[in-house]
Amino acid sequence: MFRMGVEHAKRHPGIVPQMFLICLGMGGAFVYLIRLARGPHVTWNRKENPEPWNKLDPTYQYKFMSINTDYKNLKKEGPEF
Amino acid sequence: MMIRPQEEDEVIHQQEGEEEAAVTAEMSEKIQNYRTAPFDARFPNTNQTRNCYQNYLDFHRCSKALSAKDQDPAPCEWYRRVYKSICPMDWVQRWDDQLEEGSFAGKI
Repeated sequence: MFRMGVEHAKRHPGIVPQMFLICLGMGGAFVYLIRLARGPHVTWNRKENPEPWNKLDPTYQYKFMSINTDYKNLKKEGPEF
Repeated sequence: MMIRPQEEDEVIHQQEGEEEAAVTAEMSEKIQNYRTAPFDARFPNTNQTRNCYQNYLDFHRCSKALSAKDQDPAPCEWYRRVYKSICPMDWVQRWDDQLEEGSFAGKI
């Protein structure tokens, strides 16, 4: 099957960038979907792990880029109980 | 110095009492200097719904836990201030009514 693909590509070289970009786009979408699914804001198992965001370190950074927020110096605010 | 078992319990109890007093003093200072809800890394996005609900739950859980352990529930005031800052009044009133009736859906 891949050999057919390679033969096609030799005859129509425009296929190569098209396939590459399709793979990049769909791959990127799936990667982001998996990042969202594994994120701390999702509860998959209500019995065992009902609130996974409460298990985070107070300096946890979810976003890729932090401009004004100083994540290193954050602390847990409320009292323990 | 040999400590007998009863004295050991008393020493531990006293140490716990001191720690508790330190925590309460620190919290009451924080509560006095309170301006608004601080940034919470658990909820970094614009949608702060869960932040509101979590603090509401934490306030009630904290009050319940500290009363069960016979400690002063004053430090829980922090959570109350935060949810009062963030939550819409309608929601707070609705949840309070549900709590009174016993039909509140959250786990406290």
